[in-house]
Amino acid sequence: MTDAKVSQAGSIFDPDLLSRCISCGFCLPACPTYGLTGDEASSPRGRITLMRALDSGTLPPDDPTLAEQASFCLGCRACEPVCPAGVQYGELLEQWRGFQWTGRRRPLAVRFLVFAAERARAHRIAGRLRGAARTPASASGPSLMLGCFERSLFPGVSRSALALAPELSVPDRQGCCGALHAHNGEPERGRQLAEQLGAQLPGQIVTTSGGCAAYLAAVIGRDRVAELSEYLRDKPFGEVRIGDRRARVALQDSCHLRNGLGVWREPRALLAAIADYVELPGAGRCCGAAGTYALVRPRDSRRVLDPKLDQIEAAGIDYVVAVNPGCLRQLRQGLRGRKSKVRAVHIADLLRLAAR
Amino acid sequence: MLDTPRIPQPVLTELRAIAGPENLRLADGELAVYARDATPLFHGRPGAVVAPADAEQVARILRLASGHGVPVVPRGAGSNLCAGTVPLAGGIVLSTVRMSRMLEVAPQEMLARAQTGVTTQALNDAAAAHGLFYPPDPGSHTVSTIGGNVATCAGGLRGLKYGVTRNYVLGLTVALPTGEIIRTGGRLWKDVAGYDLTRLLTGSEGTLGVITEVTVALLPQPSTSRTGLAYFDSLTQAGHAVASILAAGVIPSTLEFLDRRCMDAVEQYAHLGLHPNAGALLLFGDDGDEATVARSFERIAAACAGSGAIDVQTAGDITESEALLTARRCTLPALSRLGSLTILEDASVPRPRLAEMVARIDEIAARHRVTMATFGHAGDGNLHPTCVLESAADTEGIARAERAFADVFRTAIELGGTITGEHGVGAAKLPYLEQRLGTEQMALLRRIKTAFDPAGILNPGKLGS
Repeated sequence: MTDAKVSQAGSIFDPDLLSRCISCGFCLPACPTYGLTGDEASSPRGRITLMRALDSGTLPPDDPTLAEQASFCLGCRACEPVCPAGVQYGELLEQWRGFQWTGRRRPLAVRFLVFAAERARAHRIAGRLRGAARTPASASGPSLMLGCFERSLFPGVSRSALALAPELSVPDRQGCCGALHAHNGEPERGRQLAEQLGAQLPGQIVTTSGGCAAYLAAVIGRDRVAELSEYLRDKPFGEVRIGDRRARVALQDSCHLRNGLGVWREPRALLAAIADYVELPGAGRCCGAAGTYALVRPRDSRRVLDPKLDQIEAAGIDYVVAVNPGCLRQLRQGLRGRKSKVRAVHIADLLRLAAR
Repeated sequence: MLDTPRIPQPVLTELRAIAGPENLRLADGELAVYARDATPLFHGRPGAVVAPADAEQVARILRLASGHGVPVVPRGAGSNLCAGTVPLAGGIVLSTVRMSRMLEVAPQEMLARAQTGVTTQALNDAAAAHGLFYPPDPGSHTVSTIGGNVATCAGGLRGLKYGVTRNYVLGLTVALPTGEIIRTGGRLWKDVAGYDLTRLLTGSEGTLGVITEVTVALLPQPSTSRTGLAYFDSLTQAGHAVASILAAGVIPSTLEFLDRRCMDAVEQYAHLGLHPNAGALLLFGDDGDEATVARSFERIAAACAGSGAIDVQTAGDITESEALLTARRCTLPALSRLGSLTILEDASVPRPRLAEMVARIDEIAARHRVTMATFGHAGDGNLHPTCVLESAADTEGIARAERAFADVFRTAIELGGTITGEHGVGAAKLPYLEQRLGTEQMALLRRIKTAFDPAGILNPGKLGS
């Protein structure tokens, strides 16, 4: 074998993490891709078996099943909270893609997206142009992180967050949190970016993106990071009304916020305070946005999303609320495609409607 | 992994024609993930994985395999703990994943009919929608399939009061290795026409036929169910408490115990606030009408106190009860937090010998210098001593664990018990089976196996081999 990385066999994964799985299969019902295929290879347990085969050299790095499964996995980490053995699947997946997605084995769409995110200067300009970034970082006070996604697609989300928490400072010199890199084959680069961002925003970092929150917390420490609904949990709000009744709303969890950080009660409590809250049957299951997934694997992303859209439309709600911009984009596009009456909104925008 | 004989090309072509190309897996990586189940240390790579849609397709696959002498290993969720679905001789893994439709719940007849790949949980949920329940609840019930439960005669936490899978199976549809499809039993509570093949196939571990449909009896859902905890200094003491609870004439629905190591592992996962230094925990539960449950809880609490319990607690609400039961079901996987390799056993002894067996296990663990964590269905006398090893590469440690387990089995049999209470024989317990059954019975088992499977293709190297 000519691949230089083959000589690293046995060192691709942290051995303690890789040995933790006992193949009990308790993860199977939680896994969206196993739900689609019923195939062991697309289950968390099966993928860990594949990682072990890669690690031990039983399967070569260019094995097609390895390539397919490293990319088919949503990386939603729904397998983690249900795992009694405490397997850190998200970490293992990062290590897997760090090896699998090097050079020509890296999917083209991933190469493009990471390249785009690297253009931090463009983000900075976008942030300033759209009127979100304004104040320099105070030494120790909390500041708002302007996520890459929000800056380019949903600048209004950051403006709403600031309206709700005017005490937040918003330094315009802030880069990417690195989650995108870490989840797409560049774990070292991701870590580096997260540490940089941690230095740029020295106090508590408040974010409107569940995915960024989870990654940043994993690198710079849980106490440094608060997702917006966590940050606002004790704030009083009014109501969101539609005509003469309270609005009916449902939450779509952010996978990493729920499965990685264990934050799911906070946004529900806020929503129940401002509107009539409806729990969707699969609120905790991935919507298929999954970071870059919707762009890298659009067809599979739709297959994951479709049953969720059915549930949303059947729930008799006015709004479905996202706590992560990727989910917001995914739900909004899906619902528009169906000409649905249900609107997808970011929690910051809905809370702003209820602000006193 | 051993090199196993390749499957002849004409067989692959025919498999593709029977199940459809999209339901046949042949690539190296796709096969590697079917090389094991939830049992550690057993691996065997299949030559193909096929997922047929119905009994007809299963029967055609079996006839084909018999004709060519290709092994077939039926597989549900692959959550069994006896290496029952490991393709040790290669061949075809037959996955039941596509046969996962709930067919019927008949409240008047108090039964349900399901395809083999329906999960135990899904079956129970369907029954619950009619105010009924399916009592057997193996630890893996969220993933395990009903077909797999029948094939292994799965037990669970409610075994003491409600029995195990065999007590609920009314009828089966089974594809035979020779290619016929038979229906055993049916919807009747009374039916003695012929040998009881339903019972024979229940626990046959995929060695006699492939179960494709199951009819099970249901019970009315009890109006109340409650769970409580008692803490003791030692597992032996908890064992004495179990004897005294049963002697008081109470049959709780659940009577489970965990030693200190198991408590630590479960606490790490579930954060229930378990007692920080008690040596053992007894989890008890009962169901029925409010007054009956209250009465049985009083008697259980008194029996525990009389046996020297440090503390007795009764859970307040259903959520708390569920959390306790869920935590107990997760004990085995949670134990892997303590070391990279956990080898679990499943010895069972007559109830009065439980405390003695616990003490003997301690002695065996010390003698072989292994770390043993013990939990189990105390009320059934069914114990799961589990060896926890630091590393899966510790071959010397594995050898010591295996010697320790040989002693555990010998001791269980000496006390009038058995080598496996509920996990099954599979490949894992086969070397000890003759000790338990004797030569004559082993020979009879093989003759039965041959009658069903003359070509010897179904799950070779397992029970009946």
